[in-house]
Formats: sequence, structure tokens, C-alpha cells
Amino acid sequence: MKKIEVSIESVREKIKEFYDYKKWHFLTLNGVALEDDMLEIQWIFSEYAVKNEIVVYYAHVNCDEVIPSVVDIIPSAIISQREIVDMFGVNIEGSEKGLYLDEDSQQRPLRGCSI
Amino acid sequence: MKKTINIPIGSQHIALLEPVRFKFECENEKIVGVGSDVGFVHRGIEKACTTKFKFDGIGYVVARVCGLCAITHSMTYTASIEKLIGGEITQKAKYLRILLLELDRVHSHMLCLSHTCENAGFEAMFMRIMGDREDIMEIQELITGNRVQFDYISIGGVNRDIDAAQAKNILAKLELLKHKVLGYIDEFTNNWSLSLKFKGIGVLTLDDAYRFNTIGPLARASGLQADVRNEIDYLPYDEVGFNMQTHSDGDINARNLVRLSELLNSIEMCNNILEGLPEGEIFTKLKGKPKGDTVVRFEAPRGELMYYVKGNGSAMLDRVRIKTPTFSSIPAFSHVFMGADYADAPAILASFDPCLSCTAK
Repeated sequence: MKKIEVSIESVREKIKEFYDYKKWHFLTLNGVALEDDMLEIQWIFSEYAVKNEIVVYYAHVNCDEVIPSVVDIIPSAIISQREIVDMFGVNIEGSEKGLYLDEDSQQRPLRGCSI
Repeated sequence: MKKTINIPIGSQHIALLEPVRFKFECENEKIVGVGSDVGFVHRGIEKACTTKFKFDGIGYVVARVCGLCAITHSMTYTASIEKLIGGEITQKAKYLRILLLELDRVHSHMLCLSHTCENAGFEAMFMRIMGDREDIMEIQELITGNRVQFDYISIGGVNRDIDAAQAKNILAKLELLKHKVLGYIDEFTNNWSLSLKFKGIGVLTLDDAYRFNTIGPLARASGLQADVRNEIDYLPYDEVGFNMQTHSDGDINARNLVRLSELLNSIEMCNNILEGLPEGEIFTKLKGKPKGDTVVRFEAPRGELMYYVKGNGSAMLDRVRIKTPTFSSIPAFSHVFMGADYADAPAILASFDPCLSCTAK
């Protein structure tokens, strides 16, 4: 697994440069709670027909930062963006809340930082 | 502008016995807009994995994500932990793991094909396939002790061995099943309800399959050569006769035919494993606690299943991320519905073989 750190400001540009949709398969968007109200947001890819080739672009963000959407580059990212919005209570551009959690559910269940 | 009406399928619908809702915006008979809601039974398993259970018990927890592909969930999680703590398991354990993964694929594909028949109004075929599926359930019970939700895979190997008499019994059942599958192929190819009726319906083109990151039989039916079994080396798939099955039409009929071809290939792999099972132990004691992070994928019956696991060197994990096949395919499902006739929506939906138990993990 190859991990590539990017800044949240440059992530769209980096993924746009990297993502050839006939070569790379987008697996999912992932979030990992870190200490001090920080999150690691990951964009995970695998290469078609190549064994064990996984590339992870990641950025460390504050829980309150706005995360850019990549849906115009990767249309299928819409569903995992909505999941991360619900699970971590983050703000991803253009992604609505409420895919998994109702208003009276426990909110941001996977977020480690204080609410 | 034409008048549009909204028609839902689900959250409970006779064509799909799972809690998902698609909301179709229709102009006359054509679907021109699709909305989806998959969040009816979210269970919080990812959270439970990092707060309620130690890493060595989570393989049995994630087997409860889904009754149909329980073995793929426990396999993918276990492979993640084995990667993080290091150490090699025996060749025999690897072969037995493939055996169970492929048996799981067989019974899952048979369930999907039987529901396809039911949706087509061919209930006799539904009963026939469901009856035949009992043979696979019996084999799974013989090997693991359970018909579904098997606790068979553990960190370091598998929990039960099979002896020569059991192997002979299983081989005989698989030989019978192979002939039954050849009969299904004849029906699905030549019966009006199961082939002509589904040709040209619910088409996903190859380019759209790439664009929507489509996986599993849905992708392969559109000609996309994507199968995780071809892209990993944790298990020796190249030694047991794996052959990727694809089709180029991208319609419901192509999805049925890909699943039927995969049934035959899975049965062939099971036969090869049972006839050439290596000698040795089924379990290796692996010491240590997971530290660092990893991504592991396996091919579940519905497509790619991915686990991201992060450990900190203690018994409790920092993160378990489960990416299930149906969940990541929802954008592709919505795309296929666009432009289709509403009357075809139940058949199209059944051809996706959706699993909401996995999706609402």
C-alpha cells in the first residue's frame, strides 16, 4: 500500500492528475479519527489487473474544515462521501447528511474529537 | 415539459425482500430521475469493532455483517490482521479458505438466480434452484458446522479440517450440482422468460462500468475485466483453476450468464482443491498485536469487499472500515435505472443482487 500525503487544498488537483478511470479503480473514501480534533481523510484506489497495487491519497484536516468533493472527477464517490459526512460529522462540499443516520440517531459516531 | 410522477420501490417491496428504497421520477413509463435510501437498518458494526471487541474476536463479529457472504467478511478482516502482525499460514489452510469462499459464491449466486426466476414469474425454476441450493448448504454445514454465518476462519488458519470421507462426499455432491447448473444454463439461454425477456434490458456499457467503478458480476457482464481474485496474492487462486468470467452485452441476461459461468468455475475450483489438498496443519499460532494500517480486498459474491484496519499495538483497534460491494455500487445502480421503463425496474434491481445487510453494516 502506497500512501501519499496531500494538503486538503491541493487534493482535488492531485487526484485529477492521478485518476485515469480505465487504469485506476476508486475503492472508497475513508476517515480515521486522530487526536486533537483532527481527522485523516483517505481516497483509496487500486490498479486494475495488477496484484496488490493500492494507492491511498490522504490529508489531515481539522474536524471543522470544509473538505472538497471529488464527485465531478469520480462520480461513484458520492455515496462514500455521504457516508463519511454521517459517520464523522464533517462537511464535504455538496454532500447531504442523512444517508445512514436519522436526526434522532447518535450523531458523528466514529468521530474521536469532542463535539 | 411533460408531467412527472414519483413512484417508489421499497423500503418493503415484493420484488426485493430487503430494506432499501429507490424513488423513481417517471415521465410516462420512462425513469428520468432516481433517488436512493439505504439507511433503514444501520447497525454500527464499525464502531463496535473499535469499542466493544478485541482484535482477535472481531473476525467472528464481522461474519455477522452478512449471512450470505459471512466467510468473505471474516476472511478479509483476518487477512488484514495477518498482514499487520506478520507470519505465514499453511498452504492447506489457504486452500481450505478458498474452498469455503467459492462454496459461498455458489450458494449466493444460486440465491440470486432463483430470485431472478421468481421476478420473471417462473416460480417452478425458483423452487428448483432453491431446492438444489440445499446441497451447498449441506456441504457448508459438513465443513463448518453451520449452514450460514460460519465461524470457520481464524487468525492463523481455519478451525476445522476435512477428512477423506468428507472430501469424497463433497466431490459427489458437487458433481451432481455441476449437471444441475448445466441444466440452468440451458433454461437461462433458451427459455423466453429468462433470456429473451431480459435481453437489452438494464444495460450498463463498458465505459460506464469503468466510470462508475463498477464491481463484481455487474462489471464483468459489461466486459470490465475486474475480479479481485485476479488482483491479490494472499490466496493461491492461480493454482486452483480460477478463470475470470465476462460477457459483453451488459444487460440483465449477461449478468445471469456471468453468474452461471462463475458457478461452474467455482465448482471446478472446489473439485481441484479437494483432489489436490496439501498435507499439513490447518492452523499456525501467530503472535503479536496489530500495529500500523492496511487495506485488504477479497472478491465477495457481489464484488469487491474491502477492509481498512488500523492498529496501535494494543488489543483494541483504532479503525475498522468496511466497504461492501452493494454500497459502493449504488451510483452505478442509479445510472442503469435512468432511461429504463418503470415496469422493468424490479427485474433490473434483482439483477444487481443487492445485499442490504452488508450495506447497512
